[in-house]
Amino acid sequence: MSAGIRVAAVADIPEGEGLKIDRSLTGTDDHIALLHDTDGSIWALDDTCLHGDASLSEGWVEDGCVECPLHTSKFCLKDGKVQGLPATEDQRPHRVEVRDGEVYLFPGEAP
Amino acid sequence: MSDIAHVVIVGGGLAGVSTAAALRSAGYDGVLHLVDAGEFPYDRPPLSKDFLLGSKDLKRIALQPEEWYADQDIRLITRTRVTAIDDGSVTLSDGGVLTADRVILAPGGDAARPPIPGADGPRVHVLRDAEDAERLGAALVPGARVLVVGGGLIGAETASTARALGCDVVLAEPATPLEAAVGPVMARWLHAMHPARGITTLTARVLAFQDGPDGIAARLEGENTPRLFDAVVIGVGLVPRTGLAKAAGLEVNAGIVVTEGQTTANPAILAVGDSARRRVDGLLRPCAGHWEAAQQDGKRAAATILGRPLPPESASWWWSDRHGVHVEAVGSMAAADTTVMRGEPEPSFAVFGLRGGRVVAAASVDDPAAVRAARRLIDRAVEVDAAALADPATDPRRLLRR
Repeated sequence: MSAGIRVAAVADIPEGEGLKIDRSLTGTDDHIALLHDTDGSIWALDDTCLHGDASLSEGWVEDGCVECPLHTSKFCLKDGKVQGLPATEDQRPHRVEVRDGEVYLFPGEAP
Repeated sequence: MSDIAHVVIVGGGLAGVSTAAALRSAGYDGVLHLVDAGEFPYDRPPLSKDFLLGSKDLKRIALQPEEWYADQDIRLITRTRVTAIDDGSVTLSDGGVLTADRVILAPGGDAARPPIPGADGPRVHVLRDAEDAERLGAALVPGARVLVVGGGLIGAETASTARALGCDVVLAEPATPLEAAVGPVMARWLHAMHPARGITTLTARVLAFQDGPDGIAARLEGENTPRLFDAVVIGVGLVPRTGLAKAAGLEVNAGIVVTEGQTTANPAILAVGDSARRRVDGLLRPCAGHWEAAQQDGKRAAATILGRPLPPESASWWWSDRHGVHVEAVGSMAAADTTVMRGEPEPSFAVFGLRGGRVVAAASVDDPAAVRAARRLIDRAVEVDAAALADPATDPRRLLRR
């Protein structure tokens, strides 16, 4: 696990948006959403919002949070903690590293 | 505000729970009681969708997990009503009395029952709380003949769920619902989804109901023969609960009248949620009646109690899920002087309402990013290029980032 999986180039994910990495690649129970914050940082959370079965990779990423595309629940990018209803469950965070413009994902490792 | 040490919130819907959460997150450390008539506070939007469909039970739609109340030091009193508000205290239905330096009324409302003869019969349902949904759900068996009266949010969602459960559904609605909220094009498209999914839509009012051994007969405007149904669902709006407010001598006018900061005529009593009507800049607004508005009321009430500045106003936002599509809207389409369409109904489209070169409203079907962008364009009063908005190739997020 230590090298991580190269899953995308930073340039593949516009700031404020996300990219879904399929679980067939990550080996995790859920898909993983790579989320590009408006300060340029990149984060990874479990992709499926358990409240309404939505993909957080399609959410609105801004100021350290991702807003679910269905019912606007907000999750903190760095730890997946739920910030606003209607969701009440946190999203599991995963470690991400950016090297030379490439995004490496460490599925299951805490950030 | 060290003189405030006891706060009682009356009503455990979204507005009440949001007020409790906002008080704690803003640092209120006094006693906080939340009194609710139900088993535990739950979220209402799923009642017409996942809960009615049977895919989520009451526990799954709890507003907060059980331990949250203890974690937040919120004393949740369930299956109990507040029967009177006195100076410095409230009285409970079990005879108990709670000290209250501030009372927040979050009573919600009751589903409106139009004055149609027979509308109080046993086969006539409304959908407001979990008990309503359970009773209705038991009637929505495959093949059941179901009449939905009213095609707004509750009516359209309930018709969609009843159809998904295999019912034979008729939807009676004399107008095109949501026209003022999403504009005529999207409103017509949304209403036309019903017949496309096998629902019979009738442009008619119901004149009378009559219960009989084979079902309930509904006499409709313009029809000579009554139609027979196994169940009727009425979704024509909400009547705010104002009894406690009236008894407490507060100003009531089709809702509990409050200031911009949610305070009633009595400075020790505030009101939030579906029953509250804010007077802002001298203008009495209608009860907001939407999910997110209830949360914003809660944040404002908490700020008022703690003597903090009110959070900034944000354009009103709501959503609806029906027939497998996700609808959302923000702002006031009625305030627009120009509308701009973006995309095509299949697979997704949006409409923006502009006034003087700025976005004042937006609505979308399966394009939530358009509405989330519009909300920020409205709140930040950004000037936009209508042609760029109309072009589905322009990511609406980029319009914000110039």
